[in-house]
Amino acid sequence: MNSLERIKAAVNFQPPDRVPVIAQVFGHAATLAGVALGEYVRNGKLLARCQIQALKHYDYDAVFALMDTNVETEAAGSVLTYRADQYPSVRTYALSDGADLDGISIPDPHQAGRMPELLEAARILRQEVGDDVLVVGCVLGPMTLATQLLGIEAALYLAIDEPERFSRLLDFATEIAIQFGISQIEAGAHLPIVFNPSASPAIIPYQFFREIELPRLRKVFAAFKQAGAAANWLHIAGPAGPILPLYPQAGVDIANIDYEVEPLDAQRAIPRICLDGNIKPFAFVEATPDVIADESSRLIHLFADRGGFIMSSGCEIPPESKPENIAAMVAAARHRR
Amino acid sequence: MDPLVKALLDGDQIQAIAEARKLHDMGVEHERIVTEGIEVAMEQLDTKCTVERFNLLEIMLAGRAVMGVIKELYPPGVPSLHTKGTVVIASPEGDVHDLGKNVLKMVLTAKAYHVVDCGKDCPIERLIGAAEREGALAVAVSGLMTSLIHQVRQIKDKMTKRGLGHIKVMAGGAALKQASAESLNVDFVAQTAFDGARYLDQIAGGVK
Repeated sequence: MNSLERIKAAVNFQPPDRVPVIAQVFGHAATLAGVALGEYVRNGKLLARCQIQALKHYDYDAVFALMDTNVETEAAGSVLTYRADQYPSVRTYALSDGADLDGISIPDPHQAGRMPELLEAARILRQEVGDDVLVVGCVLGPMTLATQLLGIEAALYLAIDEPERFSRLLDFATEIAIQFGISQIEAGAHLPIVFNPSASPAIIPYQFFREIELPRLRKVFAAFKQAGAAANWLHIAGPAGPILPLYPQAGVDIANIDYEVEPLDAQRAIPRICLDGNIKPFAFVEATPDVIADESSRLIHLFADRGGFIMSSGCEIPPESKPENIAAMVAAARHRR
Repeated sequence: MDPLVKALLDGDQIQAIAEARKLHDMGVEHERIVTEGIEVAMEQLDTKCTVERFNLLEIMLAGRAVMGVIKELYPPGVPSLHTKGTVVIASPEGDVHDLGKNVLKMVLTAKAYHVVDCGKDCPIERLIGAAEREGALAVAVSGLMTSLIHQVRQIKDKMTKRGLGHIKVMAGGAALKQASAESLNVDFVAQTAFDGARYLDQIAGGVK
């Protein structure tokens, strides 16, 4: 089996030749290549080159056309601060100072901000790996993009103080996610992961997720499937346990679980959805390869009978992680330790 | 006092301020409004918000209501409420995320701490300087990025060198909370803002 076939087998609960392994290596690919993170996130060609180098180095099952969490908001008008060795951050939000939603339009993925660079990265990566390795793009989920357009505190207060205006903001964010995600699929991504940390139960209550975010996620995933996405992958960090049972309604095929979710609880909550996770991201910085190998083996064992599992970290593997720790996770999956 | 507690727990700022005004007009001492109203509401919220059920939106709404009431009771120029001690807080240099820090500020203010906010992207030296100047009980740093850990590890040693070893160091936030206190070289790692407040209550001298 090649990587893509292996992942598809896991998603469909068929036996893969081995457990697939996706290291959530984003900015770490730049660190590994000796490239400044601030350059990596602005240059699609460079990003793709670093991702391919990291793939050759680690030999895992997926590459990522993923920059940071500010691509969409910058394209919609937010102003970012770039630094050489860090991910960029928002200096001025597109909708700060009472700016009206009517004043901004849906950004064109082929023209706005760094969106074209990300599409270029997806195109090159697909060209390089074809259908052997999974090419993953990335969009922010509606709730997370809303918080990135307005600032999280202002967005959360708006949700309560002016629910209708907030609802319009979420619809706007949903449309951006759909258009950007479809463009990524057209450019060559097998799927865009939906990265949605602000929809975590650590941020919003269960009912808020069910009533307000879930219908919009369903719309996003339906559009991606129609556009040819290989699978729908939802990534909500933190203690997502309470909302997992709602994932089937959203059309999720792969559910990321962070280290704060107990894998057996997740198995019970969504028995027929493929799970990926959930080694603590910080462990890749601080722990030793033996610790990572043991934790990987424990997870592989936990899922041995059930299947539907992709070995991974709970969230992004930090850029400054030790390469030998990432290699240990990959080795555990490859050799079924 | 119950209607004030309820309004605070509901996160209804307008109602909470109205209830606080009513109590003021009835001649209730402001300190009593804080201890029997605000602090009671925060304790109930604390009980509800365990690590598993910590919900930022609810905390922020309650926090906003609390801050509204505190501003109403102690407007600028009016001597502020008694405090359990001063806590200097910051997001370390390189981290421009300040939500976690802001939530901690709300919780600690509501629990009658004097909070000195050094803001985000704050160099360690500035944090330590503020702690010395303010005679702080503790400093607290919140971080979303694992790359900050190197800086956090230095705080305790730098403070000790300046004769400030008695000031406790606390860390929290999505990235820092993944590490142990030992590995961060701090006195305590808080899983949530309330977890941090409980620790401070212990070191503040057994105050509940």
